[in-house]
Amino acid sequence: MHGHKTFDSSALPRALTERPRILVQPLESMAAVAETRLVTITINDVELQVPKGELIVESVKRLGLEIPIFCYHARMKPVGMCRMCLVEVGFKQPDGSVRKMPKPQAGCTLPADNNMVIYTDTEMVHRDRKGVLEFLLVNHPLDCPICDRGGECPLQNNTIFYGPSTTRFTELKRHLPKAYPLSQYVTLDLERCIQCGRCVRFTEEISGDAQLAFRFRGSNMQPSTFQLLDFDSKFSGNVIEICPVGALTSAKYRFRARPWDLETSPFNCLECSNHCSVWFDHRAGKFVRMNGRTNEAVNEEWTCDKGKFGQDWINDSNRSVKVMVRKGDAFAESTWSEAYDQIIAAFSGGHCAALIGGKQSNESLFLLGKLFRDGFKSNHLDSRWTRHLTDDALKLAPDTIASLEHKKTILILGTSLADELPMVFLRARKAWFKNGTQVLNVTAKANEADAFATQSLRYDEDHEADVVAGIRLALEGAADDAFALVARRAQVSAADFRAIAKELGPDTAIITSRSIFNVGDAGDVLDGLQAIARKTGCTFNCYAVNGNDAGAEALGLIGGQGSLNTREILEACVNYRVKALWLFDCNPFDLYPDHHLVNDALESVAFLVVQGSNSSSLTPYASVVLPSAAPAEQDGSYVNMEGRLQRGKGMLQAPGDAKPSWRIFSELLLRTAGGTPYFNPSEILQAIGQEVPSFAGVGDGELLKSAVAGGVTA
Amino acid sequence: MAELKLLFEHAGNPAYQTIEGYIAKGGYQALDKALKMERQAIIDQIKASGLRGRGGAGFPTWIKWNGLPKEKTKRHHIVCNADEGEPGTFKDKQLMEETPFLLVEGMTLAGIACQGDAGYIYIRGEFIDAAKAMRKAIDEAYAAGFLGKNIRGSGIDFDLYIHLGAGSYECGEESALMSSIMGERGMPRLKFPHAPLPTIAGLWDEPTLINNVETFCCAPFIVNKGGEWYATMGASTKNSRGTKLFSVSGHVGKPGNYEIEFGTTLMELLEMSGGMTGGKLKACVPGGSSVPIMTAEMCDGAIIGYEEMMQAGSMVGSGGCMFLNDKTCIVQFIWRTAMFYAVESCGKCTPCREGTKWMLQILERIVKGNGQPGDKELLLDITSQIDGRSFCGLGDAAAWPVAGAIKVFPEEFDYYIANGKSIVGSPLPMVPA
Ligand SMILES: Cc1cc2nc3c(=O)[nH]c(=O)nc-3n(C[C@H](O)[C@H](O)[C@H](O)COP(=O)(O)O)c2cc1C
Ligand code: SF4
Ligand code: SF4
Ligand code: FES
Repeated sequence: MHGHKTFDSSALPRALTERPRILVQPLESMAAVAETRLVTITINDVELQVPKGELIVESVKRLGLEIPIFCYHARMKPVGMCRMCLVEVGFKQPDGSVRKMPKPQAGCTLPADNNMVIYTDTEMVHRDRKGVLEFLLVNHPLDCPICDRGGECPLQNNTIFYGPSTTRFTELKRHLPKAYPLSQYVTLDLERCIQCGRCVRFTEEISGDAQLAFRFRGSNMQPSTFQLLDFDSKFSGNVIEICPVGALTSAKYRFRARPWDLETSPFNCLECSNHCSVWFDHRAGKFVRMNGRTNEAVNEEWTCDKGKFGQDWINDSNRSVKVMVRKGDAFAESTWSEAYDQIIAAFSGGHCAALIGGKQSNESLFLLGKLFRDGFKSNHLDSRWTRHLTDDALKLAPDTIASLEHKKTILILGTSLADELPMVFLRARKAWFKNGTQVLNVTAKANEADAFATQSLRYDEDHEADVVAGIRLALEGAADDAFALVARRAQVSAADFRAIAKELGPDTAIITSRSIFNVGDAGDVLDGLQAIARKTGCTFNCYAVNGNDAGAEALGLIGGQGSLNTREILEACVNYRVKALWLFDCNPFDLYPDHHLVNDALESVAFLVVQGSNSSSLTPYASVVLPSAAPAEQDGSYVNMEGRLQRGKGMLQAPGDAKPSWRIFSELLLRTAGGTPYFNPSEILQAIGQEVPSFAGVGDGELLKSAVAGGVTA
Repeated sequence: MAELKLLFEHAGNPAYQTIEGYIAKGGYQALDKALKMERQAIIDQIKASGLRGRGGAGFPTWIKWNGLPKEKTKRHHIVCNADEGEPGTFKDKQLMEETPFLLVEGMTLAGIACQGDAGYIYIRGEFIDAAKAMRKAIDEAYAAGFLGKNIRGSGIDFDLYIHLGAGSYECGEESALMSSIMGERGMPRLKFPHAPLPTIAGLWDEPTLINNVETFCCAPFIVNKGGEWYATMGASTKNSRGTKLFSVSGHVGKPGNYEIEFGTTLMELLEMSGGMTGGKLKACVPGGSSVPIMTAEMCDGAIIGYEEMMQAGSMVGSGGCMFLNDKTCIVQFIWRTAMFYAVESCGKCTPCREGTKWMLQILERIVKGNGQPGDKELLLDITSQIDGRSFCGLGDAAAWPVAGAIKVFPEEFDYYIANGKSIVGSPLPMVPA
């Protein structure tokens, strides 16, 4: 077998190993505005009106009918390859008779037009479906009993409904590699492939990395990467799901379960702040795999690889399962009540603080805030980890993901979108691909968005402030010499600044992310971008990047206004003003740029609570370790970078002693501030709605109140 | 009827391959005329001529020329299909090598009539000599002011480019050809009614005219001498006018290209090409390997004309006419034909991709002596599952010869399957793997 393992790309000339930059151009016909004019068609003798140009494969659904498909995918251009969707087509003549076309037509590529008559249920149609399935099966290995896809396979399903029950094929089947590693995540079984082209089209049309193509022709045709290089994509996992057979398999899920043995639950991925809707598949209490779930507002149906393949930590053996308490130099297993006693002793009196990160629910965050304010009499909590800290950040997400699709121009500034906000990246690309949105990619380093950006502007790293200043100068119509300083520092010419500036207008969205707060002079960057937005009338979005950061901010878990912020908290630990620190689901070494400060703070602070789902390198510093449940192990709601509130239901059992964080805080609240404890997350969300105005009356999937009108704000 | 040399009148004359020689023989008179004509008048002449596409389908040429928007809002492209991949067909090759200026002038006329900005000649990759000849002719035409900016001082611009194919039969299918020109994989594109006609949205989604080499080569004569004059040729047929090139091969005395007037009989064509050798006429594939095979009886009295040949049970096609003598094993012949289509299927659609391979596997088994009862019926079934179901015409073209041969020579298949050997006793020929 020829696999990647044996393919030595270093032997190739450099030009061949360098990935070709492939720009898949959208066709003009795709950019055309959807027709709204209605036409009258007839389907199986029923007359109905549909938008002109609607594909017949969609029109039949209006009557509750189905045309079987393989290659057609509603989010991609129809290609008519598999021929599974053949229907009979005729045209109504002026005298009322119907003139049938001599050949059957592919329903997935046929646009509805007046007087069209469609038959989906004739003898010919049934014979054609049988014929196509017979052809697809002659070279199919039929290894359904060991195939990942068995039980959820469109080929199986169509065969059962429309296919022949026996085979007339007595020749030798095609034999090809069964486990060809396209990448670390995706393994291709070439024998199972039915050459539908969905995977190829996904990389051309949706992710835009154009990583896959067909090679060879006729019955030898097979999907492949170019020159057998790695399938290098941030969205490769999606092709596994859209493959209508078990050809593209997940290297992680391969042979691990049969679909009918899996339980599935709707969930939201929390690996970044997009919060994609997903299906969480689990078996015997263990997470098994994650698939995309349709949510037009957020992820349509896609996922990114970071999320899809990044859930292993839930099953990890390093999950934190025991309450641990330091006894002298040793660390011992303990009980919740002993830990609570120690914590209350250390935290009462107000010289305490909490640093917050990760994937915690609004409910947990809200109670943590309450615990600190009411129980510990401290207001020192912060969920932000950037170098520059400003509470302005909260008002900075006016555009929803979906609304980006209709922008005339999108200016991406200082963020590698595909890495930080994968779904925003996919939408920006879709906006370009479908609606002709022009994308300006202004980043220090080259990235995926360059492939479709009308302008890509590179500047010297960490000079975002100068770039923003340059654009402002251009907007003000400054003369060449006024640019001298910023141009030299950012290494960008006045002409380039002007080229960007002249594209900005009321239909423009500027997109950046909270990581911009890590660059030098971040405050100036922010001010400058806001000024640009005011001047041009465009919107300015500074999206949150991680987990439930937007939720934490919306709940007011940020320093400032009299309370210490992240940096100040760490500094206060060093000079003993903060005596007890709570690290809630965060590792400051991973999150905070200044490692010295982190180390000093953790060594100096008298009492340290480390709470999280997995044990970490922080344990040596800890006084108490509290195991908490993962998001999938508890109910809770989360706020994504648009300000969208989404509720999730836990479906797994937390391991060992681990508890949902909200319960830990509720129990401590009872022991400190007293009152009635909270018993479940719904109750807490209700309380949030009463106490935090932006949450008031906001239902599942809806945007926080103030988010709609200009930003997530508490 | 005898040969009637119109396109081929000066073929073989080296002087005709230079611009001076071409002009001396009346070349470029049509262009000068066209430059003084209304665009529509040119198209009207094509209409009056009754010219039909010589690439295989016989589609009325004027409808295409007339189909490009008269109000120009985008670039217009003129494409010449010089991919000539159909087995048995080699007329375009000779046209390009020996009468290259006819093609240059013909495409320029189309450019003028259809407001084309540029023309692309998509030449089969193996046709190096033809490409060289075209290159030379185009260069000379540019130098003499017949191409490029401001042609002959008319204010009209027209550029002509050559695009070499890379060895795929499918790239002769017009939409796959366009994919190939645009740098995509040579796969066909959606057609009417699934997508606009190429005359509205072809190359780069812009209006595009595509014709065969021979079709374009007829244009100078039509514009120069008038459509009506042209239509006098072939008047005896129902709807086929002018002359047609036939590439005659097989068991004939003088294989080669022959130009005949429509209305000539198939047997006259056979006679022109030296008659049968090595045996009596057994079968004929008159229009390239895709068209249904004819028995000797069917050939008898068959008149060459689009409708007439249909009536006789086959097609004019691309004019690749193969005469087979009675020592030929039809089963082996079809097996070899099926191999071509299985290799050339682009792989886009299921029926053609899987069906051509399967048919080949069955035929291969039969010719190797392992036929099974039911194979013939299975083959017929498979052809019916491909024919009209595939994405483009290649699938149909692969199905027709098999279905056609089984229909008219069933006994050869029955014998081969029952006895494990050919009815004519011919041993299995060697074919390149
Ligand atoms: C599989 C296939 C191969 C074809 N190859 C050729 C070819 O090599 N040359 C050609 O002129 N037409 C070829 N055609 C026909 C073209 O699609 C098209 O009909 C023709 O170029 C139109 O020109 P015409 O109107 O002048 O005949 C092919 C068609 C199919 C389906
Ligand atoms: S691998 Fe799957 S998605 Fe890709 S062409 Fe094959 S069957 Fe289609
Ligand atoms: S019939 Fe289908 S597989 Fe065959 S050449 Fe045409 S598109 Fe390709
Ligand atoms: S679904 Fe229509 S051709 Fe594949």
